[in-house]
Amino acid sequence: MGPVALCITSVILIGLMAVLYLSQQGQALAANQQLQQIHTQQAILERQNQDLLDTVAYEQSPAYIADNAKKLGLVPADPKTVQMLVVPHLRPIPHNQQNMQP
Amino acid sequence: MNLELQHARSRLMFVFLLVCIGMAGLLARLYYWQVLQANQLSQLANDEHIQNQIVNAPRGLIYDSQGHILATNVVRDDVYIEPIQFFVDHPDDSDAALAGLVHTLHEVLPTLAEDRLSRDFKSGLQTLRIAGPIDPAQSARLRELHLPDIFLEPRTWRIYPGGDLAAQVLGFVQNGTTGVYGIEGAENQLLAGKPGTLTAETDLNGNPLTVGPSSAQPAVNGASLTLTIDSTIQYIAQSALADTVRQLKAQGGTVVVLNARTGAVVAMAGMPTFDPNHYSSYYKQMGCLGSESVYFNPALMCAYEPGSMMKSVTMAAALDQGLITPDTAFDDPGIIAFKDGTPPVTNWDNLGYGHETMTQVLEHSANVGAAYVAHDILGPGRYYPYLRRFGFGQLTGINDGPEEPGTYRTPGSPGWTPSDLTRQAFGQSILATPLQVAIAYQAIANGGVMMRPYLIAAINNNGQITTTKPQVERRVISARAATLLTQMLVSAANYNQNATFPGYSIAVKTGTATTQGISAYLTEASMAGFLPASHPRFVILVKLDRPQAHGDIFGGVAAGPLWRTIAQQLMWHYGIAPDQQSSTQSRDMGR
Repeated sequence: MGPVALCITSVILIGLMAVLYLSQQGQALAANQQLQQIHTQQAILERQNQDLLDTVAYEQSPAYIADNAKKLGLVPADPKTVQMLVVPHLRPIPHNQQNMQP
Repeated sequence: MNLELQHARSRLMFVFLLVCIGMAGLLARLYYWQVLQANQLSQLANDEHIQNQIVNAPRGLIYDSQGHILATNVVRDDVYIEPIQFFVDHPDDSDAALAGLVHTLHEVLPTLAEDRLSRDFKSGLQTLRIAGPIDPAQSARLRELHLPDIFLEPRTWRIYPGGDLAAQVLGFVQNGTTGVYGIEGAENQLLAGKPGTLTAETDLNGNPLTVGPSSAQPAVNGASLTLTIDSTIQYIAQSALADTVRQLKAQGGTVVVLNARTGAVVAMAGMPTFDPNHYSSYYKQMGCLGSESVYFNPALMCAYEPGSMMKSVTMAAALDQGLITPDTAFDDPGIIAFKDGTPPVTNWDNLGYGHETMTQVLEHSANVGAAYVAHDILGPGRYYPYLRRFGFGQLTGINDGPEEPGTYRTPGSPGWTPSDLTRQAFGQSILATPLQVAIAYQAIANGGVMMRPYLIAAINNNGQITTTKPQVERRVISARAATLLTQMLVSAANYNQNATFPGYSIAVKTGTATTQGISAYLTEASMAGFLPASHPRFVILVKLDRPQAHGDIFGGVAAGPLWRTIAQQLMWHYGIAPDQQSSTQSRDMGR
């Protein structure tokens, strides 16, 4: 191969390698963009999850339950109206059996 | 050679030399920038493209004993504007653009007035925070609108979904990072975790690249804590305390509920209190009769003279040493004088009860009887060791922030006189916190064995769970002495009927203390005891600071109804069967 042909071939090969390298870099960067989008989405979902946990905790709080019970017309129990039933020899169900079907 | 050719060659050489000089100059410049300035330029490039980010560690959550969240974290946005950039972007139509932008902002954030927003945009600042934290709905709306020269900055906030529930137990987090007061302060290091770092090349938007060099130190999440507090009982205690303080026009109050067997704190309430979600609004408010910030837990910090509740401790000391029995009697003329010149002691009601047993001393809450036992039967040598064994004058060791040890004079203290002994016998001349008094009664309830009080039931440190085991502090009195004293306290409860209710036997003692130098009508009205007396499950202490209304300033009438309300709710909530039959309130099934 003459020197001119060798030069031209070398330039072409170097160019191809450069294109390949740049292409891979481009793919990596595109993947990085995708990853960033997924991270952003994850952050949004985590925020939403935290907000939901906060909402659940708020609605489980005694103050919230008491307020809503009042709005529904419920009133605190009056101790004077409570009747106690004494059942002789009654044994409580052990805690670990309380969910068992009869 | 032809002259023209020579001239041509000379010109060529001249141009060649010029080119060589130019190339040499370029090479020199290249050498300067690429070699001599290499480090500096690399550093500048790295500063631009390599960022060292701090990865925040999420703060651990706090749960109650049932797994309900008491403290959690949420992310909320702060709203920033870029005033300078706005006027750069709108050189010609800034007024119209500003009016439109301000109007839109006001619609999304109605608490921000339009004229104030206009002034903010004209502030000449690079960036300015105009609002925050804002609701998730407002954040979403602003994101949808893509308003120019406005950006949102997320920030993590500590939230307490229960509002002021157990506020003084929990404390709060300042600036989103540092826990202060209560559990947040005491266990800040555990809850905060450890931030991590991420060093990586970034793209144009500042996002770390997956290609290229990077190093990361992962964040260590904060540990989550499960407390012994039962939210339902805490709410009941707080609400009942608030109602009672309001009705009796008291200056404040405290409630402590302990598990009688383990020393776990089931509820701990104080009035006045605060909402940790808006802690800065309360910075001027004071508790503990104006002596401490409202942020402090009064059960641990407000030492006071317990009054007649200390008579149980006096009796315990004498019973344990076999010096008295519940039926040991003496003559109570309403005043007792001492042979060694100790100032006489009178009963609180100035009455004499005549022939009185030790049980009746508690029933009548007779100062004379208590002073007689402490001075004439026990003496300093056999009395003060019991104050120490019951935990007075010492920290309880509970892990909930700062704590007062309380104090009392002993024969070794400067200025001690026998008058201290006689007065300490009925709860004067001694300062104790509500928690200290509660754990003294816990020892009586638990057959004479004092347990160390604790608030943290379990710690979950990134999957590693540590559970607190109840710890015996020491045996204070014998089981027999505890049983005898319990019977005496049951008798006192039934005699006074301030806190009794059908179906359950209770062992209680009232206390009414006054402070020297202050009006005798300004009392600390309190009641401490446990139930069911036959097999104690809970210890309850209630204390009201200077109740005024209706003349209800004494322990029994002021604190009794509150004690009874909390006790009843405890029995119902935990499904504890009655240990007493009452003919009016119960029906016997199956006969």
